[in-house]
Parts: sequence; C-alpha cells; structure tokens
Amino acid sequence: MLTSSRDLTVPIQILCYAILLAGAVVMIMPFVWMTSTACKPDIELNKLPVRWVPDNPVCGDNLDKLYDTSPNFNRYLLNSAIVTIGRTLGQLVTCSLAAYGFARFQFPGRNVIFALCLGLLMVPFQAILIPEYILIRELGWLDSFRALIIPGSFSAFALFLLRQAFLQIPLEIEEAATIDGANPLRVLWHVTLPMSVPALAAFAVITVQAAWNDFLYPLVVSSTPDTRVVTIGIALLQGERRTPWNLLMMGSFLATVPMMVLFLMLQRYFIAGISMGGVKR
Amino acid sequence: MTTAILNWLGPTPLSRRKALWGMALVAPNVLGLMFFFGLPVLMAFGTSFNEWNAIKPPRFVGLDNFERLLYEDSFEQALTNTFKLIALVVPAEILLALGVALLLNLPLRGRGVLRALYFLPVVTSTVAASVVWTGIFQPRYGILSQVLEPFGLGETKWLVEPGLVLIPVAVVAVWQRVGFDMVIFLAGLQTIPGVLYEAALIDGAGRWQRFRHVTLPMLSPTTFLVVVLAVINSFQIFDQVYVMTLRTVPGGVGGSATTLTYYLYRRAFTNSEFGYASAVALVLFAIILLVTVFQLRIQRRWVYYESEEG
Amino acid sequence: MFKTRHSLMVLVIVLLMSALAMPVYAQDGGEPVIAAQPCDEPGELTMWVWDEVWAGIIGESIEAWKADYCPGAEVTLEVQPWGQYWDLLKTNAAGGDLPDVFNMSQTNYFFYAENEALLNLQPYWDEYGVDTTIWGSGMVDPYRWGEDGDLFAAPVNWDTIAIFYNKDMFDAAGLDYPTADWDWNDFAEMAAALTDPEADVYGAAVYAEYQAGYPNWIAATGVTPVAEAGRAGCTLEEPGSLEALNFLKGLLDEGIMPDVSTVGGASPDDAFNFFASGKLAMVAGGSWKLSQALDEVPFNWDVVQLPRHPETGRSRSILHAVGYVASARTENPDLAANLILFLASDEGQRFFAEGGNVAPANPSPAIQQLWIDSFGETDINIQTFVDATIDSQGVTVFDEIWDAINSEIVVQIFDLGMDVEDAAAAACDVVEPYMVQ
Repeated sequence: MLTSSRDLTVPIQILCYAILLAGAVVMIMPFVWMTSTACKPDIELNKLPVRWVPDNPVCGDNLDKLYDTSPNFNRYLLNSAIVTIGRTLGQLVTCSLAAYGFARFQFPGRNVIFALCLGLLMVPFQAILIPEYILIRELGWLDSFRALIIPGSFSAFALFLLRQAFLQIPLEIEEAATIDGANPLRVLWHVTLPMSVPALAAFAVITVQAAWNDFLYPLVVSSTPDTRVVTIGIALLQGERRTPWNLLMMGSFLATVPMMVLFLMLQRYFIAGISMGGVKR
Repeated sequence: MTTAILNWLGPTPLSRRKALWGMALVAPNVLGLMFFFGLPVLMAFGTSFNEWNAIKPPRFVGLDNFERLLYEDSFEQALTNTFKLIALVVPAEILLALGVALLLNLPLRGRGVLRALYFLPVVTSTVAASVVWTGIFQPRYGILSQVLEPFGLGETKWLVEPGLVLIPVAVVAVWQRVGFDMVIFLAGLQTIPGVLYEAALIDGAGRWQRFRHVTLPMLSPTTFLVVVLAVINSFQIFDQVYVMTLRTVPGGVGGSATTLTYYLYRRAFTNSEFGYASAVALVLFAIILLVTVFQLRIQRRWVYYESEEG
Repeated sequence: MFKTRHSLMVLVIVLLMSALAMPVYAQDGGEPVIAAQPCDEPGELTMWVWDEVWAGIIGESIEAWKADYCPGAEVTLEVQPWGQYWDLLKTNAAGGDLPDVFNMSQTNYFFYAENEALLNLQPYWDEYGVDTTIWGSGMVDPYRWGEDGDLFAAPVNWDTIAIFYNKDMFDAAGLDYPTADWDWNDFAEMAAALTDPEADVYGAAVYAEYQAGYPNWIAATGVTPVAEAGRAGCTLEEPGSLEALNFLKGLLDEGIMPDVSTVGGASPDDAFNFFASGKLAMVAGGSWKLSQALDEVPFNWDVVQLPRHPETGRSRSILHAVGYVASARTENPDLAANLILFLASDEGQRFFAEGGNVAPANPSPAIQQLWIDSFGETDINIQTFVDATIDSQGVTVFDEIWDAINSEIVVQIFDLGMDVEDAAAAACDVVEPYMVQ
C-alpha cells in the first residue's frame, strides 16, 4: 500500500504512533504485571493496591527458587520445544499438501470433505476430552511423545488458513509451471509455497503458539516428568492452599519469552513484495 | 464397474488425473483428522444418547438428554449468553484487528516491536491475565473505576452484576484475540499486488478510495477467514469466563456469565453428567455448523478470489 | 434393623465423645497411637497426589515404608495439578483405570463412594486393630459409608479456622486483645471500634467462602451448616442459619465489614490479602495460612479462636481433612491398605509434622507438638488451631452444590445486598435436588 515513510506526513505518523501506543499499553499490562511479580519477594506479593514495580526486586532468587521447587522445569521446556517443533513440521507437511489439494484440484466430494474438516474446528475440545483420552489409551500411547506430537500434526485450522492463502495466488503463475511439465508437488514446492511466505509466517506463529500453550490435551495424556510440557509444569507450582505468585509468574515468563523471540523473528516476513514473484513491480 | 469409478472421478482423462492428485494430496491430513479427532467426536455423540457418570457403565436413554435441553433453563441461559457474547465480541475484534493490522502494515519505525506487543495477549499466561483484568474491573480500587469516577460509575460492580458481567468477559475475549487476527490480516495484506495501488494512484484515487476499492476487495478472502474463525471461536469462549469469574462466582452470579462451552464442561466434570454434556456439545456443534455453512454460502457475494476454479 | 440401631448408637457415641473431646488427645507419648505394620507381600502400586510439596513429603515417607515395612515394593508416585486433579481423576475413571492409592477430599468423596469406586478399608482397620474413633469426628465422619459407618479413608491432615487479628490496630484503639472466651457480641463491639472510614480501615471480614466463612458461624448456633450429613436436607433456612447470616449481614450494613467487591473477590485469600495490606483489623483464616502469614504480614498479629455463640457458648470451626483412599479395582488391595496404614501411622505422619504447613491428622500429642514446633520460634498462638479440631464440623457439602454455597450466596448477600432469607431460599433450591429423599 505504502512503501516508505516518505509517503506519510509527520502529523499522520504521530497520530498513528499515538493510537498504536495507547492500544499497546492495554495489551501489555498483564505481561508487565507478570514480569514484575516474577521479581517480587514473598513479602510484596499480595500488597494492595497492586505494585507495578517491586520495591526490592529479587529476580535471581526467584529463578533459583523456581528450579528448587520444580527441578524438572528445564525438562518441561525442552519437552514443549520438541512437541512444538514436531507438530509444526507435521502440520506444515500435511496441511500445505491438503490445502493445495483443496485449492487447486477438483475431485468428487471435495466440498463435503472440506466442510467435514472445518466441522472439527466447531467441536469444543472439552467435549471430546474423555474420548480422546480413551483413544490414546487404546493405542497404548499414554505418556509418550507419539501421543503429544502425532495427533497434533493434523489441523483443520492450518488447512483453512493455507487454502485461503493459496486461493489468493493468481492461477496464471502456477499454470505456466504446469505447462512446463512440472508435477503438482514440484509446483507446490517451487511456486506456491515461496509465493505464500507471509501466510506461512502467520501459520508458523499461530501453530507454534498453539502447540506451546496447549494444556488440556497434554494434561490427560502425560503424567510423568519425561513427557510433561511446560504449561503443566507451571500448573503444578500451584497447590491447593499455595499460590506462589512469584514462582508462577517466573515460570510463565520463561515460557512466554521464547514465543516473543520467535514472533519478532517471524514478523519480518509480513512484508509485501517478496511473495508476488512475477507480479512484483 | 471400472467405468463407473472413472466417470465418478471426472469426465476426461486429464480431470481424472487431477482428481486423483487432489485426493492423494488431501488424504494424509484428512485421514489424520478423521482418526484423531473425528473418531472421538463420534464417540462423544454416541455418549449423548446415554446416561453416563464416567464410573458406572453407560445406560442407553435414547433422546432423553436432548429432551432435557428443551426445558432446562440453564441451557437456554447459556445459549443466550453465548449469542450476546458473539454480538459483543466478533465485530469489535475484527474491526480492531483490521485497524491495527493496517496501521502496523505502514512503514513505521519500530513496527516489528509494536506487532509483538499486540501479539503478547495471545501468549500471556491466563492466570496473569485473570489477576490483572479482575483488578482493572474491581470497583473502588480498580483502574477502570477511577477513570469512570467523574461520571458517577466508580462503584459499578462489573464482575458481579448479572446484567454487566458479559462486558468484562467480552473485553478480555477481544483483548486476547486482536493479536491473533492481526497476524492473519498482516499476512493477507502482503498478498495484495502493488501494481493495483499504482494503477489506482495513476487514476487519481485518494487514500480512502484505494482502501475501499483495492485493499478491501483484495483482502476479502482473508477477512472471510478471520470472520469464520472469529465466529467459531466466540461460540467456544471458555477461558475468558473462567478468568473473569474465578474470584467471584465461577460462571457468574446465577450463571450470568456461563457460555455453552463452560456449561457443558461443568455439567460433565462437576456434575458427572457426561451424556447430557455431550448432547449440549452436539447442539452447539450443529449451531456452529449451520452458521458456518451460511457464511460459506453467502461468501460469493462479498469475497473476491484471485484464482478460484469452478 | 439391629444393624441400623447399632450404627446409630455408634454415631451418637462418636458424636458425644468428639464433643467432649475426650479421646482425641488421651494418649501421651510411649505407645504409638497408630502403629505401622509389615506388609504381607510386596508388589506394585500407583499413587496420585495433587501437590508437589506434598509429593516430596509423601515420597520420603514411602521410602521409609519400603525400607522398614515392605522391602521390594514399588510405588509410582504421580503429581497432578491441583486445579485439574478431579477432572483428571474422572477422565481416568472413564478410561477404566483409577490409581491404586490417591488423595481424596471430603467434598468429592461422596461421588466415588456412591459409585462403589473405593476400597472399603474398615476390614483392614479391624485387622490392624486401629480404633477409628481416635480421629476427630470432623476428620473421619465424612469418609464413612454404609450402614455400619465403615471408614473408607485415612485422614492425612486437618485444616481449621481461627481469627487472625492486627495487634497494632488493637493497641492504637486501646483495646485488649481478644481471648478464647469472647463471644459474638464482643467480636461485633471490637470490630465496630476498630473500623475507621477516614483511614479506609474495616473492622473485620469473616463471611467469605464455605470453609473459612459464614458456615463456621452457622455451626456455632448448633446447626449443621448448609447440608445435613449424608445429604439429608438443606439447612440454610433453619433459624440458626438465618441468625448467623443476619448477624454477619448486620456488620456489613453498619459498614464494619467491607463487601466482596471492595475486598476484591469472594475467596478467603482476597480477604486475607486485604488484612495483610493493613485495611482490615480481623479476618477469618485457615491454619494453612500460618506460614504465609509468618512470611508476609508486615505488622504484629496473632490468632484467636472463633468467637462463641452467646447462647450455645460454642465456638465451632469447619474442619476439612484430606484422605487417602484406595481404588476398589486395585490389584493389590492388601498392599494398598498397608501403605495407607503406614501413611496414617505415627511414623508416617512424622514426615508431615516436620514438613510444617500441613497439620498432621494423627492425634498423637507428640506429632501435634512436632507440627507446632515446625514453625520455629514464634509467639503466635498456633495451639488455637489444634484446639479448634475438638468442637469441629466436618464438611458435609459436595461438588455439585459447591459454587452455589461457596461463592454465590456470599456474593448475593455480601455484595449485591440480597435479603438473607431470599438468598438462603435460593441456595436451598440448588441444594435440595441433590439431597437423598
């Protein structure tokens, strides 16, 4: 739409910043509280009104305490990383293939099958928690990475997202490649995917985040530190009669930072131009 | 027999070949989805015809659970609450996300960091969000009440008044969802060819006209995606209810913040009425399906695809 | 017929004895109150707990059991998050596998007992020669089941309630500190005297939540709070209940107690934080708050028994005890029962007592003293929580009605200003359908 800041006058720039920063304050408040609480000593935890900056920050001590209370915390982080990478790669393969199939090929029952897949998005997971547990148990997969990764390697959401993106690519570009005799897989790999970089970035951001934050499903299928993910690790810090806010928030902070780093790395792919290949001016 | 299959696949050899390719491409994801999620869904639907408390063997009761839906006031209340929330959340969420995406697509310095800040709510811990948002909406000492004090609304009990509690729930839902939609919008904005803007500039189109006649129609497939997902998602609002009512009455005073998903979860796990809860899930599923099919039907009127076939 | 009368008699005797507090601390030193015994045959067990700190303590005690009483036994100890523990338990039950031994709460016990999912431990208590009346009635009565009142669980710990008060505020107001013989009128007078709207300080907040809140005050009138034991009827509309609720509502109306919204929530934690922030002179709190209070409360404070009802003269605390139960489907029932016996024995309970925070259920005075000592050098009257176990009230409510009686009625009366009579009637409408007809 606009390609350089020259196109924006200074007053408009200021206005944009004012609006965006005002919104950003609301967006980050809980995160700020989380970070500051992660550094509060016990005695400052429940003071009213809420303190946004600890009087006497003890970040390092709380970090040590977190690892004292939860010696497996690094293991949980590692498990989350394994599960997240596994699911994301799995979805990348299964969903880009399927999205391409739905977007570019006519076959009997195409719309019904697509609607069925979309339908799965409409069932709240809470409703299938027990059947899901029974299925994994029958497969003999309880407490294994298979259970955590394989079912999560299929997605109706990513299918929908990528299909919409592929539909936005002008047909002529792919047709040129098809006439050259390339088979569909080659077209997908060499033409369609490179042209869908922004959509793939969106896919990665959302899928990674969803896999990383998944809670209910890993809760029911894993029960030992070997396969437990970080969301469960954080939940375990809270006892019936104990809410160690600083440790909870320190754990949450450690779990959030990788997501933010990843987002900052990926967001640069939301840039016009590189995707448009032949149409690029 | 063979010819029947061939004709079913397509009229010409080329179309048959394409059909086979298409089926092969979609097979892994479709079969995986059907096995790992379709099967449990079928099992849940089977449960809806039974009385089952998770310990004793299930007892077949036919349509009793569905009959109960008709006269349980709590179900009707949850249904109404869900529709109210959708009306509050979906338009606000989409307009805000689109606005933020458009602004953050401008060549502004530091937009990468700003994008990250808007994405933060998606990854912030639910517990932290709960503490801060209940604090914000608290009368007397809350931030909001101090802002509203001059208007005489400082003592408003947002979180306990049955007529008000859906507002904070909706606010948190929108807050958490804007960053998610923004990401999809940002990706969609990149696929709009620059030549279209140049052509519009040459034609002397102003900022608004370019937005109206280039951005909006070219973005419509993305907007469609966002709308469909937003509707599905807001039918399933659960965490936000939990977050905002945790410290007062879970599910709201008199069930005033109870959504269908929250309702079925509580009925299943608190009351051990797994059959009834499955019936609620089935009805919820049917409603969402109807709404989505309706959206798919009317999309031709407003969604513009660069390349859709047939 | 004989059986029913017999169990009734037992019940009456148990109630009488616990009311008189005779047997609970009868034993002093020497012989253990509950003796651990060797297992017949080692085997494998899976065990669930919901708290990592507990898991550490239980892990140690299991090691001791394996070393001294059951060499060769294998125990897989799994910790589940407290917030999802009950959902997970039901999910596993649905799949057909409950853990062999697991933690149980009094509010969830009814469901599992009613569905015959639990192993009857009574034959083992008889075999091991454990007299189950040595535990306070509040600890074990909610875990009994069947005509003979068989005990299906071993209590692990107890929680009782007392009043935490800000000594500095009492000093500033020139008031004497409250003592164990104070009654409701003394409490109301002191709270009124300590209220200072100018300084934004309230006299007390004592209504919130089932365990620390209004039910303690109902219990003092002699009524079983909220629901009769064994789901025998809603009691909120009985005169004693209404009297207690109206007494508390009166303090709210006079501005002596803050409403729920002012405190920031309907959990006792919210009220406690309000107290710790110097905005409250007195707050009702559980024994589980002691270690947090010792760490975090920045002024001089102490605890005192809940005030007595002026006519009955009783101060009664709600008591909850977490229990150990075994699955009815366990492959090693004898072994599971032997492990539970050890965890309830003097030897097993020592680990809890020394760990602090969790008050051990074993009534041996030595064990109780060990728990008090675990808090280190302090002037705080910790003994008051132990004393409160004597005339205590076990938990008679359960999961399905929990929200209605734990928070809804509190918010209705103490935030939205509903009439006590109307709120009680509304709560009974929720409770009644779950009562045994």
